Amino acid sequence: MKLHDWTRILLLMALVGVAGCRHPAESVKTDPLLKAFDTEVDWTDPLHVIPLNYQQAQGKRIFYQQCVWCHADATPAGPSNRSNLTPVPPLLNDGAVLNAESDENMSNIVTLGGAAMGKSAMMPPYGRMLSADEIRSVIAFTRAIAQPPFQPSARAGLQ
Amino acid sequence: MPAEEMGKLTDRTRLIFAASSVVFLAVLAISPFKDFRREWKQYKRSYQRFAQSRPDTKKLLADYRPDIDQIWLPGMNVVDRCTTCHQGITQASLGDKAVPEPFRAHPPIPHKVRDWGCTVCHRGQGPATEVAEAHESTLAWEQPILPTRFIQSSCGTCHYADLPQTPQLTRGRELLAELNCQGCHRLPGIERPAMLGPDLTNIGTKVSREWIYKWLKEPRTIVDKDGNVTVNGYETEEEPRMPKFRLTEAELRGLSAYLSVQKAKAMVPYKLDARVVTAWRKNPELVSQGELRFRQMFCSTCHSLAVTRAGETKLIGGDIGPELTKVGSKVNPEWLIAWLRDPEGYLPHTRMPRYGWSDEDLYKVTQYITTKLTDTDLLTSVPQMGSPTEQEIQLGRRLFLDKGCGSCHSIEGLNPQKDFGPDLSALGGKNASELDFGVAQIPRNLVSYIQAKLQDPASVNPAARMPQYNWNPSDLDAITTAVLSMKGAPATSALQNLVVTRKEVAFHPTGSFGEVYERYKCYTCHKFNGYGGNLAPDLTYEGSRAQRQWIVDFLKNPQTLRPTLILRMPQFNMSDKEAATLADYITMVLQHPAANPAAVDAKQFTPAMVALGKQLYEVKYQCQSCHTIGGAGGYVGPNLNNAGGWLTAAWTEAWLRNPQALIPDTIEPRRNFTEDEVKALTAYLMTLRQVIKPQKIASISGSRTLSQGSGR
Repeated sequence: MKLHDWTRILLLMALVGVAGCRHPAESVKTDPLLKAFDTEVDWTDPLHVIPLNYQQAQGKRIFYQQCVWCHADATPAGPSNRSNLTPVPPLLNDGAVLNAESDENMSNIVTLGGAAMGKSAMMPPYGRMLSADEIRSVIAFTRAIAQPPFQPSARAGLQ
Repeated sequence: MPAEEMGKLTDRTRLIFAASSVVFLAVLAISPFKDFRREWKQYKRSYQRFAQSRPDTKKLLADYRPDIDQIWLPGMNVVDRCTTCHQGITQASLGDKAVPEPFRAHPPIPHKVRDWGCTVCHRGQGPATEVAEAHESTLAWEQPILPTRFIQSSCGTCHYADLPQTPQLTRGRELLAELNCQGCHRLPGIERPAMLGPDLTNIGTKVSREWIYKWLKEPRTIVDKDGNVTVNGYETEEEPRMPKFRLTEAELRGLSAYLSVQKAKAMVPYKLDARVVTAWRKNPELVSQGELRFRQMFCSTCHSLAVTRAGETKLIGGDIGPELTKVGSKVNPEWLIAWLRDPEGYLPHTRMPRYGWSDEDLYKVTQYITTKLTDTDLLTSVPQMGSPTEQEIQLGRRLFLDKGCGSCHSIEGLNPQKDFGPDLSALGGKNASELDFGVAQIPRNLVSYIQAKLQDPASVNPAARMPQYNWNPSDLDAITTAVLSMKGAPATSALQNLVVTRKEVAFHPTGSFGEVYERYKCYTCHKFNGYGGNLAPDLTYEGSRAQRQWIVDFLKNPQTLRPTLILRMPQFNMSDKEAATLADYITMVLQHPAANPAAVDAKQFTPAMVALGKQLYEVKYQCQSCHTIGGAGGYVGPNLNNAGGWLTAAWTEAWLRNPQALIPDTIEPRRNFTEDEVKALTAYLMTLRQVIKPQKIASISGSRTLSQGSGR
């Protein structure tokens, strides 16, 4: 009975979602830098489009303003500053490195800067520029695009 | 009736009464049962069961009540019962994707659900208590839930000013302005663009009748070498602003006839210096030198050209002016020379600056344009039409008004019809029953209606006058979002108070600065007090930032400071007097109160401060991650090699304290420097000087691409 109800609700939700309009064409490759506001094309697989919720989409917007220059290999302006830096900053989707960091740790690195957290001083602090909400949204975006995917349960001390 | 018979009847009646009482009781018993089984009550109970299964049960059930939940905001006309089923909407611990709907928490947004309700953003029926009625449109309820990909339209219903959080809505509004939709439709809050379609009063002096015919039939049609037609450019997403009208052969002939005789103001041909022409005419370098000048003047900052590399054709360059790949086959060469010398003489509202040309440059560049930027096949598909007849001209004149051409293009002496298209200022709030779906085979809802009208107006109304646009999917959604946001005047005064209005500012100073400013159209790319383009740096406080001498040198010979930029400031060949006028005004007027150049005396900096500053720059703060000094450093911020010759000390100090206070959009983060560190860093930066030789940018060879060229 319970299962049946859930199926019905999920089906309804899906119906509401598509009511009267087409789904974002998943086969159409959109320009990840400019045009797709609530999706992000997986950096490792151009055919995989990742849907973003409001918070993640805000994170995407801030990422492409502030972070993309050093944490991606392609930027809206073309060349990336990443290869200029030693140590080389991690790509934002690098799950192997970033999945291990807790949300709190990530937030501290962004807020206080690399030097304060025992990392490279090349990472500036953003705590006086971005709000706590904005920093949280960037982390949410990081989690959304991580490859290998981010598993919240794998994180220590979730509860 | 005898009494004994009455007794018999009474027995029968009793039986009937007894039976009906039983039925009545049964019915009475069913209704509580039915009530118990109501949809929302089932969700209520299953939420209770779900909460029991979570570790924080107590918190999840803190405000649980077994009856209908309602958010009632009388001032906003909100009666939302959505939280009856969506009970976990404000519970932060239920944000995870594993939590089943309808109990999942709302993703974090700037507004609180309890203060705003749900239907304000999501639409749907707030008071409904059944899933289907709340979410979809039924006979009684007409407003379905807004698909989330258009959700930003709800932000735009109150926020008339652009928000950084709603890029899709902003893009949609930009498209509405750029494509001049308000030429025909009433659209609230959309400004008319600085340049509508070109004024056609003298179009006959610019192009031939054949070219007009071709353009009207297929704006920017490209035929590749195999003869395949690619409409709308080069399969890029660059749209010509001119849409496609569905015109018949007779209409094409009429309009092209009418337009080709528009020569109200005779063009005055400019006679190039005969010595220049003789000296260059036979020179084999003429065209390649013209191309070089074309590149050096950075025409490509505003105009694009199609470039084929490795089998792929792409438009390279800016989109402020028209694409120029085939302009040599379009315009009359005499007109071209006259236009380049004085664009406003032909088009008073143009955004094209008036360059300072030497006859030599003018000859070389126009020769390059008329010999290289051509397509000999461009007009081959146009039939021979001969000179226009009076009948054709009259037909064209009538069509010009009937087709709505006058809404975007003006012709002197011709008054266009007011409110040519329907008023769209409240379309975004309409119910399905208010829409005329015509012959369209689409789902009966507002989103489908808007998208069908945008994609193919004739699919809804075969007699539609609206022309045909060619959208890519994301622009289609963006413009749909912008149209959906227009729900008309707020229904209540409480809502009226919530509206965030858009500031309308214009910056058109008078005096000698104003003249030069209008001549070079500084506002096309730069912003002044919130007015102007986004392509180049905001100059609102440029007078506090840059030293006067640097401004003069830069205007005379623009150098790129930010290597990641692809487009750059054109070489205007400005006179010394003009550069001085601009620099004087900028340094006197465009000032920030927090950075008064006179307030900081660079003489106070000691060598010890310089040494400390250098150390802070290189070791403690590692500014080289983004900025370049000498040969090394990052590409993100501007090159600081000449910081001492460029920036004022006062600006540098104020900037180091708080960059966003000076330029809100800047990406340099605000640091936590001590006052001593600010002084030391400023002292160090002020020592950095690099003399830029007044060489022309001729070092950029002709074969280099734009992006490589600006990487120097």
